[in-house]
Amino acid sequence: MKPSKADSLLVLLLRVGAFLCLAGWTWVHFYWEGPYGVLLWQEASHALAERLGIDWDRFVGTGADDGLVQQWIGWTGWLYLAVTILTVTAREKSDLQMVGLMGGAVLLGILAYARFVGAQRQIPMLVEHGGQVLAPVLLILVLRLGARHRLTIAAAMVAMIMTFIGHGCYALNLWPMPAKFLAMTTEILGVEHEAAITLLWWAGILDFLVCFGIFLKVSRRSCALYAAIWGFLTAIARPVAGMSLSLNYWGADLFIHEAVLRAPHYVIPLYLFLVWRRPDEIETLGEDSETGTGPDGPQTVGPSKMSGLPID
Amino acid sequence: MKFIKWLTISAIVVLIAGVAVSQQKNQKRKGRAVLSVPKVAKKDLICFALYTVHDNILKLTAQLYPLAAGDSRIVRLEIRKEGEWVEVARVKAIEPGWTAPFRVENWNDSKAHDYRVVHAAGSTYSGTIRKNPVDKGEVVVAAFTGNSIHPAHGGDISRKDIIENVKRIDADVLFFAGDQVYDHFKHYAGWLKFGRDFGEIIKDRPTLCLPDDHDAGQPNLWGESGKVSTLGGASDGGYSRPGAYVQEVERAQTSHFPDPVDPHKIGQGIGVWFTNLNWGNVDFAILEDRKFKTGPAGRVPKQGPRPDHIRNPEYDPASVDVDGAIMLGERQLKFLDRWSQDWTKAEMKVALSATIFCGGAHIHGGANGRLHADMDSNGWPQSGRSRALSALRKGFAFHCAGDQHLATIFHHGLENHRDAIWSFCVPSIANLYLRWWEPLEPGANREPGAPDYTGDHLDGFANKVTNYAAANPEKKPAGNLLNTRSAGFGVVRLNTEKREITMECWPRNVDLTDPAAKQYSGWPRTISQFDNYNPPSWGKLGTISFDVENPVVQLIDDVSGEILYTVRAKGKTFNPGAPKGRSFTVKAGRNQPSSVILKKAEVGAGARSIRLK
Repeated sequence: MKPSKADSLLVLLLRVGAFLCLAGWTWVHFYWEGPYGVLLWQEASHALAERLGIDWDRFVGTGADDGLVQQWIGWTGWLYLAVTILTVTAREKSDLQMVGLMGGAVLLGILAYARFVGAQRQIPMLVEHGGQVLAPVLLILVLRLGARHRLTIAAAMVAMIMTFIGHGCYALNLWPMPAKFLAMTTEILGVEHEAAITLLWWAGILDFLVCFGIFLKVSRRSCALYAAIWGFLTAIARPVAGMSLSLNYWGADLFIHEAVLRAPHYVIPLYLFLVWRRPDEIETLGEDSETGTGPDGPQTVGPSKMSGLPID
Repeated sequence: MKFIKWLTISAIVVLIAGVAVSQQKNQKRKGRAVLSVPKVAKKDLICFALYTVHDNILKLTAQLYPLAAGDSRIVRLEIRKEGEWVEVARVKAIEPGWTAPFRVENWNDSKAHDYRVVHAAGSTYSGTIRKNPVDKGEVVVAAFTGNSIHPAHGGDISRKDIIENVKRIDADVLFFAGDQVYDHFKHYAGWLKFGRDFGEIIKDRPTLCLPDDHDAGQPNLWGESGKVSTLGGASDGGYSRPGAYVQEVERAQTSHFPDPVDPHKIGQGIGVWFTNLNWGNVDFAILEDRKFKTGPAGRVPKQGPRPDHIRNPEYDPASVDVDGAIMLGERQLKFLDRWSQDWTKAEMKVALSATIFCGGAHIHGGANGRLHADMDSNGWPQSGRSRALSALRKGFAFHCAGDQHLATIFHHGLENHRDAIWSFCVPSIANLYLRWWEPLEPGANREPGAPDYTGDHLDGFANKVTNYAAANPEKKPAGNLLNTRSAGFGVVRLNTEKREITMECWPRNVDLTDPAAKQYSGWPRTISQFDNYNPPSWGKLGTISFDVENPVVQLIDDVSGEILYTVRAKGKTFNPGAPKGRSFTVKAGRNQPSSVILKKAEVGAGARSIRLK
């Protein structure tokens, strides 16, 4: 059974979110460098090399030559590229492609862990990457279970919550606020740093509120819409604050990917906003079907029963 | 349906609670230090005090713990005169950072003074303002950098060995080259801990702390005159932390410096503190090599995995020496121009800055982290480096710095190898980040028996450098021990009688008065003050005999009109070095080169006598 136009839009949305996220990180791996250095030079990797019976110089390189670790990191970029292509080509029936997408989630998970270690093991750094790590998983779910399946929606909610709780913890200064949060705010809005702190504090409060608000029928759509807008603004804040006509390529190679790889931060809330449309809105769109495709074949997903979990 | 809903809500609650709980556990995790501002009794409100004396002006900054709402903000400075405590200054403590900066003019530096800082709540803090050691013959500088407090780098190991060693050598000046505080968010708490760790030696001797990148709350710093940085790693230039935070850092670490020579503020209201300190007849230039420097991101062609790193050994070094890229900036270069000519009460000159003027390491972070060049170093921009070294060699200045986490000795070159100043980069107190000096090719013109990594090299920016020593750490992770990570400190002995400079590089936890104690390989090394501008290609103008001791001599190029150098001669005779094939006007005087004593002087001219009285 073909999905409805509305569902096709939702699938496309999650596909675009996963694609942009992985494409952004692919750019980082090929053009810049994956953030894995922090994991390498430590007792644990030394012990691992010894356990594997690999000479340390062969493991990490001599400095003059690449070691196994550098080769692995080099291959990681190609893996990211492959998974990025998969986000475009993946179809429901292909188990192999699904496995590939799941591999993409694992790659993003490793990357998130490296960022977490690099940030002196601040938990919000790990949590906020949840939206990105789950982007390929969401694509799998939406392809396999359907755009309105309860598991798909639940996973999207978890992804959104992780992103916004992570951000909120920093914005409320529960963990030290990354310097660039304040710097971007002062630079873009032209406000003093005290005003920026106040603004970010309120943004942090709203980050937490939307995480709770999406559980309430009365507020979930507005919360998801706010999250989509705020997620988009925070993503493009990097290039807006950093790019300049005076820089090579206007600084595009430094900043654009920072917005691109954060696509799940606004795409996933936008998906939730759309999936929670009122029945009359869906009808207005002139849908020709109210059916979707689930793991066990076509299932009824009428507006009042669309997803089971978060609808009522 | 309700079950699933509540299950989901419960999962979210568990997630949030887990975040909080795990963070609590994380704070106790081995490897990270937890910084906090301790509550202290009223009698202990003053944590420590730093001071300098220059040009008969005492500047002393008392660092306080937070004052309570009802506590007086007034802090007093008293000195003991004939057994009585006499107030010489009082100030209101500045609340962001709780500093009390005193300034006392007409200070008599010909004798020592006991001082105490007093707060009305019952707190006092005592120390000694030293006598200016003008007749000592040797000024001893204890030099440090990189004060990690994290257990992962041995940073939790007591600093008692350093305290004891500084007392043993009775250092005249303490120089902390940067990264006194590594916490990017809690400088105040970190600074108080620094004071608790080192206050015992700081309170009794002039101390210079240069705030570097980590002190300012960022991993690297290209200050770009106070711009706001928004790029991770800050290589777009500017400050990542708010201007108010940086101002607080600089107030804590530098408000006791001699008055800045050019105090105009930069962006975000951030001040400047570059200046000079004349102590024991040694004239120290205190430089800000980060504050004005241009950030490389987007300015130079990409050559590696980070905007500030160059991995491609085939790149064209000239391609990154872009127009408009600044290192010290015009204001500091003008200051250095004046400073190198002014030898009032000075027999030797020393430049102090955060880092050295070359790419002083090949491998960064881990033994696999080979970089061709690092633009965080002062090897870039090359034109800025040339201007800095040209200015410094005109005063035969020796350079001491830190930042690299790797102790090295370099003799710098501009047009040719070894035609500029010497530098000593001191090791970290506890080494957060490992680096190695490990060129792929053996150096040329090495000393007999010296390691391959010594000798003449080009750094990654094609700057000419000659290495004489490098305290490379172990090549494998070797536990958290300080010395496997090449931790330690430097001692610079400035012999104003012999005009010699001795560099010592000590590991941690040794007694440096013990004859069995060994320094890092390559140290100690003694050079002459005059080696700081003695190109191998030069000849001698001919011995000039004076009727006064130690006159100041200046050579001016007859064609360009530029000053080649100004220096205080040693004794009554001086044989000036100079390039062959050019003629010079030679000026001289007791303290200023005020009289022309020779015209059209060239290499190979005969001896002559000059009367200056």
